[in-house]
Amino acid sequence: MVSSYVFGQTDTTSTEEEDYSIYDNLEFADEGTKRFASVKVSGKSPDKLISVGYDWQGAYDSDAAALGLSPAENADITATHGFRFETNVPVISKNNIIIQAGLLYWNTIYEFENENQLVNPLHRTLADNGLNTIELSSTIYKPLNETSFLLFQLRGGMSGDYSMEELQNTKYNRYALAAIWGKKPNDRKQWGLGLSRTYRAGELNYIPVVLYNWTSVDRKWGVETVFPARGDVRYNFNPRSMLFFGFDLEGNSYRIGNQGTALAEPLNDLEIRRSELRFRFRYERQLTGFIWISAKVGYRYNYSFNVDQVADGEDFFRGFFGDQEYAMENELTNPLFFNFSINLVSP
Amino acid sequence: MMRSFLTVVLISFTSLIMAQDGEADRLVGVWEPSHGKAKVKIEKINDKYYGKIVWLREPIDPETEKPKVDKNNPDEKMRSTPLRGYRILKDFEYTDKDTWTEGTIYDPENGNTYNCTIKMTDENTLDIRGYIGISTFGRSDVWKRLKIPSRKK
Repeated sequence: MVSSYVFGQTDTTSTEEEDYSIYDNLEFADEGTKRFASVKVSGKSPDKLISVGYDWQGAYDSDAAALGLSPAENADITATHGFRFETNVPVISKNNIIIQAGLLYWNTIYEFENENQLVNPLHRTLADNGLNTIELSSTIYKPLNETSFLLFQLRGGMSGDYSMEELQNTKYNRYALAAIWGKKPNDRKQWGLGLSRTYRAGELNYIPVVLYNWTSVDRKWGVETVFPARGDVRYNFNPRSMLFFGFDLEGNSYRIGNQGTALAEPLNDLEIRRSELRFRFRYERQLTGFIWISAKVGYRYNYSFNVDQVADGEDFFRGFFGDQEYAMENELTNPLFFNFSINLVSP
Repeated sequence: MMRSFLTVVLISFTSLIMAQDGEADRLVGVWEPSHGKAKVKIEKINDKYYGKIVWLREPIDPETEKPKVDKNNPDEKMRSTPLRGYRILKDFEYTDKDTWTEGTIYDPENGNTYNCTIKMTDENTLDIRGYIGISTFGRSDVWKRLKIPSRKK
């Protein structure tokens, strides 16, 4: 037997005639060992450990409402663009629990036409400072048995017009949480239901979450959804090249720290409730090894760019039915956008 | 006197090699990856360790209704090779206490081959880490030992 290996096929397949049926009903050597639902779904796009990207939106109009003594103003924004960096790295990876830690930095720069003539304080601060987001996150996947699992995600961070040299006070940090209970009936399907505390609609909200990942029998088609954050229909050209059509819901509450003193007291406890629904095509492919590229092209629909007065950073809940008035109700028209990123993916 | 000394040295050296072989051979056996979709038999061949798929939860490709083959392999010539019997672990050497390195692991799901380090965390548990280049940005999977069946006569 040994000689057949020595001179034969140690490369790929065993040439040994073997009765494979003896492996059908093996038990674990450790009697207490259990099987757990794996987090992986066959055919699904690989998880990104590190992502470095650039996001660009084309020209659109901004109708900013009056604020205090400052008048309403219509301005032409020629582009909104910025650098995006994200990590999501496993810190514990066992069969019965996976814990990941993440860091996110998004920068948004607003380019105005006739920037020197802007008088509305919202436009002034966007032109002068742009918006930044820094977040830390943790994702916990806890399988309960071979088919059931729990998924938790906690995100916390600061969003606002601060600069990297002078970050805003941590009392303005915002936190989001999602908890999902799910089932994985087979290797190609995973679904779950849960609840989230989220800022994806711009302001604090509590909404249900639906997780659904599915791949067809021939591995060519699939669905990847964490509603309402994102949803995709996927076509796999092969396991290293995929096309998606779907949406992302991106949002956060951005504190206006009044850098440059565009606003007069007491109108400086303001937060932009920014939320964008992005309908897009996405193409992802392996460049080499763990390095993948991702390109998105689509239409950005403004869901919210209103402004709230949030006294001393103590946020409040309006939900879908609250009647609290906004400090500013603003309108943005909707441009095309593209996004390109280079990613280090998980094996 | 000199002959006795050489005999002691030879016996000590041989015992050391045998002990190390014994430690290294603990890797031999049948193991189940965390996804539970396959079972992998690790064998020793010429002082190196190789692991082949001996069981698949879904042995028949539902698309072709034939036994699964390595259809995602980037090398077209390999795409008709049966997955059962396929060596996905190759060329491992026992290099440190409870650690086997210098090998590779192949993922038939995407056709990628990764560098790999195997660490035995206890007699029945392996920490398998796949990576490219540096181990920092890899992924670990926990494999559990299965009871080896007795050979049919």
